[in-house]
Amino acid sequence: MSYNRQSRGGRRHYRDDEDDRRRDIVESPQERLKFAIIKLGEADPYQEISTVESRIRELAPPDIYNLSESFHIGVTEQPYKIPFYAALLRLLHDNPSKDGDSFGADKNSLGKQILEEFWKGFQAYVDKLMWRETRLCIHFFAHLTSAQLISPESFAALLRSFTAVLDEFGVSHGRAKRAALCAAEGLMIAGAVLTLHEPAFPGEVITSIQTYTETTGSGKWIVQPVVRLHSPAVAVENADELLDTALIALKALESSSFEGPYPRPYSEYHPPDSSLFTLFSLPSVLVPPEVIELETLSSEAEESEIKRQEWPEYFLRLFSDDVTPDPNTPAGYAVRSDLLVMIDIFEVNRKEAARLLLEYPKWVAPGTFKPKPGAPPPEMEHLVNHDWQLESTLLETMLGASLVLPQSSQAQIYYDSLITEVCKLSPSTVGPAVGKSIRKLYNSLTDGLDVEIERRFSEWFAIHMSNFNFQWVWKEWIPDLDLAIQHPKRAFMRTAVEHEIRLSYYDRVAKSLPEAMHALEAHILPKQAPGPDFMYDDTSKPHHDAAQSILNLFRGRAKAEDVIVHLDTLRNTLESEISDTENVNSLVRIISTQSLLHVGSRSFSHLLNAIERYLPLLRTLASGGVTASTAAGNLEAKADILSAAALFWKYNPQMVAIVFDKLMQYQIVDPTDVVSWTFLHVSEVDESEADLRAPLNLSAFEWNLLKAALDKAIGRVNTARRKLAILRKEDDDNRARAKASGGNMDVDGETKPDEPVMENPALAVALKAFSSLTREQKTALSRTLEGFVSCLAPSPTSLHPNPKAREILTEHSWHNRANWGKEEWNAWETWGWYRHFCRAYSPYLRNYATTFTAVSFARFEGQSDPASDLLQKIWDVSTGQE
Amino acid sequence: MAHVIQPLDQPSNYKDSQTRMDRKRQNETLVNSTTLYIGNLSFFTTEEQIYELFSKCANAADGGGIKRIIMGLDRNTRTPCGFCFVEYYTHAEALASMRYVSGTKLDERIIRCDLDLGYREGRQFGRGKSGGQVRDEHRQDYDPGRGGWGAQAQRLEVERRRAVEERYSDAQDGPGAVAGGGEEWKEIETSEGKLKRGRSPEDEGDNDRMGRRTRIDEVTEADRM
Repeated sequence: MSYNRQSRGGRRHYRDDEDDRRRDIVESPQERLKFAIIKLGEADPYQEISTVESRIRELAPPDIYNLSESFHIGVTEQPYKIPFYAALLRLLHDNPSKDGDSFGADKNSLGKQILEEFWKGFQAYVDKLMWRETRLCIHFFAHLTSAQLISPESFAALLRSFTAVLDEFGVSHGRAKRAALCAAEGLMIAGAVLTLHEPAFPGEVITSIQTYTETTGSGKWIVQPVVRLHSPAVAVENADELLDTALIALKALESSSFEGPYPRPYSEYHPPDSSLFTLFSLPSVLVPPEVIELETLSSEAEESEIKRQEWPEYFLRLFSDDVTPDPNTPAGYAVRSDLLVMIDIFEVNRKEAARLLLEYPKWVAPGTFKPKPGAPPPEMEHLVNHDWQLESTLLETMLGASLVLPQSSQAQIYYDSLITEVCKLSPSTVGPAVGKSIRKLYNSLTDGLDVEIERRFSEWFAIHMSNFNFQWVWKEWIPDLDLAIQHPKRAFMRTAVEHEIRLSYYDRVAKSLPEAMHALEAHILPKQAPGPDFMYDDTSKPHHDAAQSILNLFRGRAKAEDVIVHLDTLRNTLESEISDTENVNSLVRIISTQSLLHVGSRSFSHLLNAIERYLPLLRTLASGGVTASTAAGNLEAKADILSAAALFWKYNPQMVAIVFDKLMQYQIVDPTDVVSWTFLHVSEVDESEADLRAPLNLSAFEWNLLKAALDKAIGRVNTARRKLAILRKEDDDNRARAKASGGNMDVDGETKPDEPVMENPALAVALKAFSSLTREQKTALSRTLEGFVSCLAPSPTSLHPNPKAREILTEHSWHNRANWGKEEWNAWETWGWYRHFCRAYSPYLRNYATTFTAVSFARFEGQSDPASDLLQKIWDVSTGQE
Repeated sequence: MAHVIQPLDQPSNYKDSQTRMDRKRQNETLVNSTTLYIGNLSFFTTEEQIYELFSKCANAADGGGIKRIIMGLDRNTRTPCGFCFVEYYTHAEALASMRYVSGTKLDERIIRCDLDLGYREGRQFGRGKSGGQVRDEHRQDYDPGRGGWGAQAQRLEVERRRAVEERYSDAQDGPGAVAGGGEEWKEIETSEGKLKRGRSPEDEGDNDRMGRRTRIDEVTEADRM
């Protein structure tokens, strides 16, 4: 616990990490007191309040700043203790009377001084738009209002400044959501007092939030966790939207006079003596506009950071209401919202997070959760008897948060690792909850679970199994092997096994699978361990000798230039060997690329070494000719390189992704080339599996290639933007300095025109880079959109039209999905990835909405085609045009 | 957020005992480090397995990704000896690995990550007397994931080991033995550009040819848009 004395009265350090200072520094009494306040209630919250109160009073003179900071840490980092901090502050409002009996309260009380200081910190959170801290302080104020320390008028006014945000013109969903939660949760806790003071107030808040949520319908449609192609309606059975649950819980509380589920330890204390005590009146606040929203008004708009687009948040339900809390009830909402905020706060230490989550029941009313097996029977009857299962509740909340669309608030691997830690702390109780969650998610695959959720689910599954000895009861899924080969359940099994193999190795995973899943026709376990497939390895293969001649050069570490010269000769030889229809340049590119990958096939490092040694060769290949004879063929040449790589690693999808990534990194190909290749050539890669891939459609493998390319393009723009910002700042500083020093010289009062400041060459380079990268990003996005459009609304003349892309869009077809075959599910999945593309890249697509609409959708004007209508609807909703 | 619990992404007391950096520079380097030292690996674990796990913390859209992996090898036998370096493009990714991956299992062993000062030539080899890691020389117990004759009873392990033992037989030392992994994006100048720059050693490419390529791309892009 650090306490920086220098900061007293000056800058605040609530969030500064100063803990790298060694712990063995002798702590001051104030530091020890702070520690005691932070640790409040770890053994018995109700008992400890008065003990901590005495410790605070004993240390004279009181350091109000230190005390306030301790409360801040307590409230914003341990939200489950907020009611107890409110009680502690309530006690500190009493002034001990002369005869030692604490009674009454007055304005000079310690509590009041702390509250005044605490308010300043809250104001700072609001000013900096630190929403989580703001919301948790509002919880604290709500309890203090209930404890009759804060005037209800001023607390209602505070909540009104948050509902006012909902009326702002063009308010972003993220901002509106956070403001609405502040108002809703404040009202949930303090509703009874607020109603007493102003009966119409709860209705006002509810109406305000409801009016806002009614505008979020189309947003909900695009992020609901199930794919329903036939219906524009939001139809979600096993998931709840966050703001909706808040609203429903709030209404339930209103109709029950705000009999909330919150612990109120202060309710046992005698009320403050109103003759001696005046209520604290919270000053009014104004929620400032988002910084980023101001920035976009500035002149360099396109250089400003792209803001993450926020959508309504759906959390999946995996268990029934008697097992885990229903977030649409006041008690369920309170538990859910506590757990969610804990998962976010403790992200820095997943092990501690797991421990604190498992200890959560001690902070809620007894009877909320089922007692641990073997726990002594309760001394008195519980006030509530929900008897929810803690472990299932935790799993549902953690998975729910990790599966939010289009992306979770934390990295997915955090949730995966957090679940692992919770399991490690209590394997016997958490294990069954994990198993049930997996089964529930798996079964919902039949009912249209979103493709991105399916992808994350399979990743989590593999990570989890990798941490727990790959023990899964695969045999219970054997009957599902009768489903269509592209049915989501079979696709899931396939991907899960593939991910497991990547984290482990083929034989290890094979050992964990039942015999039925080893069969080739099961399409679960690949037919061999993922290894390379060098097309020219076999002496009987055509061009074996040509490949050998290149390999020998590589192995002898020949110079790249010499290899290039050799390829020229080789081309002439090959030209006489092949038919007229074959393209000799293309053949040379494929043989060379495959040979290079062959030398680099032993490991990732070997690959990097091979590429780096022969970069000039790769560049020559990518430039079109074997030599620099022609540059026109370069798009084709780059596609050849990608095809050769994909063919080489056709049994190892992970390596395809790695090679593509490095080819982009070394600038042999651009992200746009990868996007184009994925839409045009991926289906040519593996003839034996062509069955699974053609006609053109996208599965998780193709999506991952697209995503990697798009993210590479976006990442480069972001890096260039940061560099540019630094250079601009340097440049501005230089100009300012030049101006200042010029001013000093200007003794005779003569005004010289602004001296032309030397143009900064680095800045010019950075600007140029930023603009070419932005262009590349735009092209990659446009190509992706175009690829999806031609897949899903194929023109009658297109090469590999998916015959089912339109057919599956009807309600009748969906209800008949039990009879869907490979092609229907293929088309369905491709639609799913299109929907995900639009919502996941929405912040970038928005910038180009007009151009892209014209390029990709204008051709459909005046046509009545269910496919193009749906394409456009998804597009319009994602880009905020509907 | 560091008052109630200790973050997991702090540098531990692990350090490179042979570094010549002074303590202050070491601390400054760690604050921006993009490299992790990974310990307690199985001798059989491959770079691709490591790539798979650590790519979960990669953030390409932020300009990140896995730059390279350097497998720690026994100095004498040129076989993996239970450690490696993972280098990202960004510091944030290294921190994410400390928080989310360190202390989880890879290949059924709990691995350990530490922020590292960055790879230097020669650090890919074990420093134990026998060529492996010093740590292993102090070990008393038998550890199947790290070799020993007991593992030979298992056929699978034998086969895996054979593949692993051969894999790095070509490992070199000296300058340039370890690949860089690809640098950040650079503008490729056109042949007619006035900004023609001198060649840097890592830039062996034929600028003229690349230049023409880029220009054509731009033309086709302009047509497309």
